[in-house]
Amino acid sequence: MIRVLVRAIGSLVVSATMGSIVVFLLLRMLKGDVATVILGQTATREALDALRNEMGLDAPLVQQYFDWISGVLRGDMGTSYAAEFDIAHEIWGRVPLTFILAFASLAVSALVALILGTFSAIHVKDWRGTWVDILSQIGIAIPSFWLGLLMVTLFAVKLGWLPAGGYVPLTEDLGAGLKSLVMPVLALAIPLSAVLVRYVRSGMLEVLDEDFIRTAQAKGLTLRRAAWRHGIRNASIPLVTVTILQLGSLLAGAVVIENVFTLPGLGRMLVVAVGGREVLSVQSLALVLMLMILTLNFLMDIAYGLLDPRIRERRGSASIT
Amino acid sequence: MTDQTRALEERPPDSVDLDLWESGSNTPSRRVPPQLVIGASITALFVGIGVLSIFWTPYDLDIVDVPNQFLRPGSEGHLLGTDKLGRDMTSQIMAGARNSLLVSVVSTVASLVPGVLIGLVAAGASPFWRSIIIRMTDIGVALPGILVALVLATSLGPGNTTAIIAIMFWFIPTAARVTMAPARQILSRDFVEAARAYGRSRKFILFRHVLPNIGPLIIVQASVMFAIAILIEAALSYLGIGAQRPTPSWGRLLKEAQPLIGQAPYLMVIPGVTIMLAVIGFNLLGDGLRTYLDPQQSAKGGGA
Repeated sequence: MIRVLVRAIGSLVVSATMGSIVVFLLLRMLKGDVATVILGQTATREALDALRNEMGLDAPLVQQYFDWISGVLRGDMGTSYAAEFDIAHEIWGRVPLTFILAFASLAVSALVALILGTFSAIHVKDWRGTWVDILSQIGIAIPSFWLGLLMVTLFAVKLGWLPAGGYVPLTEDLGAGLKSLVMPVLALAIPLSAVLVRYVRSGMLEVLDEDFIRTAQAKGLTLRRAAWRHGIRNASIPLVTVTILQLGSLLAGAVVIENVFTLPGLGRMLVVAVGGREVLSVQSLALVLMLMILTLNFLMDIAYGLLDPRIRERRGSASIT
Repeated sequence: MTDQTRALEERPPDSVDLDLWESGSNTPSRRVPPQLVIGASITALFVGIGVLSIFWTPYDLDIVDVPNQFLRPGSEGHLLGTDKLGRDMTSQIMAGARNSLLVSVVSTVASLVPGVLIGLVAAGASPFWRSIIIRMTDIGVALPGILVALVLATSLGPGNTTAIIAIMFWFIPTAARVTMAPARQILSRDFVEAARAYGRSRKFILFRHVLPNIGPLIIVQASVMFAIAILIEAALSYLGIGAQRPTPSWGRLLKEAQPLIGQAPYLMVIPGVTIMLAVIGFNLLGDGLRTYLDPQQSAKGGGA
């Protein structure tokens, strides 16, 4: 177990370092001149030089990178150029919302996928299974932000049941806060569950072929009850694997959805910062989002190892070869 | 997008059937799966409309005709209605197909070539180098295309180029991964051993023996990537970092429609349905090709 932990931490650190280098270099692709990007082509030489100096951009690239990273480690990401706010403070305040959004979507979609996937595996030979297939095919193809817009039209504009956007912190008003999260979470969760349901279905089909299901049936359980009682746990393991692979996309989706519903999370901040060409904000925001993905991967990896010792063994040996 | 990595990792590498070509060509009477027919038809329609829009659209794309603004779909002369400035929606949707097609084809092809090469090299490399390549692809896959696009848009500005580079950033490592596992399986087979004993070079084996054998997998992968690229392009344009006016784009139509949701919901419904149909088309094409080129897999799926 300790070996697994050490290896996971090691790969987390290596991935985070390489990722941060990629983000840094992507932002320096424009001939390395961030100052012109910020001030525009019409800026005077003096203004450009002053800004470069202020932001430390006249230093060599390597030093700029280390200045940034050491700042991040100390919790100092600099100040936003246009809006004059402390970037680290601003990001820190927005993490919870993005996290809640992503996590709630994950939970909802996993639950929906387990139920529908098991249902369609039991009914694989009749029309009910086919319907789940068709629905999942459609769900996969729906852009989540468009689904969000459709829901706004129906539930906010036409029926007036839910707010069209904005966010009330859960700590202030639980009811209003939850209401403002319903549509964003569903918009993210529905396409994701359409993806996951296919894996649950094929996992469940394999499980239903196993001896212990036959044993359960021999002991008098119907196939349906055997599936719900014994199959679900076994079919959940592939679900965890796939979910790990979906985390990056899920957070990317959250970035888009926050902009549909003007939720004050990291994604909204990122898009505003990109619009204002706030290099320093974008740099640190991208790093934080990436770290969230990597950390979740890491936690899932550990959880996975704890869930199933067989997999732990297999994975351990696979990564050596 | 939550739906992107889905199909990229759809089949676990161990279950990949490697006899795709052989088993495919020997059974001429095999039935064409319905998904393939539907998928191919939708895709052909979509490509046809995109190509047609280069030469002809019912109206000029940016012709402003304010007296005829907000015409409902089905109005005379405007099948899909008009927008806030009286621009014809049919023409905009047609031209949007062109842009989606451009972004998805360029990004997919430009990613598959280096991605497959990297995957092949990694498959044939020593364990040490392979683990380094795997680690690097891990990072590429962990960086979602939309995130990379946002970062890139800060330095390069918005536009199709930004979208294409960002998608490639994500597709190249994915293609490498999808190639590597089956390539390694092929490398462990007897006929490769024979070729090696015969004195063939590693390069010869990789390109003459391994690549043709994993060809069908790559074709399936390509159609899945097209679908994902369409979704990413739409999301980026919606966020305002993809195509800008006057370049037509479905995602941008959605962005423009959002403030008008109460007044003219059809402006938002039509581009969304179009995106959905295009993605369904490519996904069905991928599913169908997979079944068609790999009947064993389909028998397993259908008979279980």
